[in-house]
Amino acid sequence: MSKSLTSTALSATALSLALSTALSLAAAPASAADHQEKCYGVAMKGKNDCAAGPGTTCAGTSKTDHQGSAWKYVPKGSCEKTASPTSPTGFGQLAAFKEKKT
Amino acid sequence: MSDQRLFAAALLDPDAPCPAGLIAWNGSDPARRFAVYRNNVVVSLIDALADTFPVTLELVGEEFFRAMAGVFVRIAPPGSVLLVEYGAGFPDFIERFEPARSVPYLADVARLERLRVRAFHAADADPISPERIARALANPERLPTLRVTCHPSLSVLRSDYAVASLWAAHQGHGDLAQVDPFVPESALVVRVGLDVQVIALPSGGDALAAGLADGLPLGQAAALALAASEDFDLTAQLAMLLRVGALTALAQPTET
Repeated sequence: MSKSLTSTALSATALSLALSTALSLAAAPASAADHQEKCYGVAMKGKNDCAAGPGTTCAGTSKTDHQGSAWKYVPKGSCEKTASPTSPTGFGQLAAFKEKKT
Repeated sequence: MSDQRLFAAALLDPDAPCPAGLIAWNGSDPARRFAVYRNNVVVSLIDALADTFPVTLELVGEEFFRAMAGVFVRIAPPGSVLLVEYGAGFPDFIERFEPARSVPYLADVARLERLRVRAFHAADADPISPERIARALANPERLPTLRVTCHPSLSVLRSDYAVASLWAAHQGHGDLAQVDPFVPESALVVRVGLDVQVIALPSGGDALAAGLADGLPLGQAAALALAASEDFDLTAQLAMLLRVGALTALAQPTET
């Protein structure tokens, strides 16, 4: 894109294209999860994005910090680098795990 | 100086004598009772700052933070009865605080934390409906002059340091050891529902969000963003702003 645009406003066509595409992107909730992964054992209690224990299937229900069956969306690649005191590996995991005693 | 002002000044100055004329209900030494009260005032204000600036505290440790906050409390006691507003001047104070010079990014991290508190208490506002955007898209030639209202909680922090990454690493996201604090970053602070989010902005993203927040027409804000970075992805940034509900109204200057 040319620097000469700086003094003028962006063309209506370019704006229209960007805004209409943005609108459809924003409407698709799946796109938010694309760059994220479910990370088990790193959420503080009540801060899980979803899935804790039998019978509880929704966000914000985990009972303890770092619960092994509760996951949180984190940026892709960071899960297994995030410390989790309850995890046998010492870090978050991509699947539910049985917590070790602390 | 009135008795009240004298009393207040003596509270913040550990070397000041106990104000004259005080009596204790049980006959104990008023100077000792006053010393307890003086301590409680300063400690409670330091606690308030520690609650508002948790990452700032973690970056320098409890001992350094409390000493620094103690100096601030004594020179800048609350100016409002709302304790939530206390600490608005703390980041600027940190920037000038000589012993904190070795942590140059500390003031900007504190600014980010302050913006989060501000966002948390900002008014609610509904995002623009897709129908409203569709109506605007029906008149593409008028898009460049369109003005956008941002969510009351929205702010943009531009920093010479990696504020967003530093903050995120202290929330357990990402790896603190891999954050280079000396990479300039801009952060968008916005409340989504009840959750205050800190979103790292790509180059140009700060110009777009800040431009819209300052009331620039859409075309001009977008052009500024593209001027800041040749790889600026306008579509992705608009989609992000829409997704977090950062944009709340559209208006044409001539529209009624």
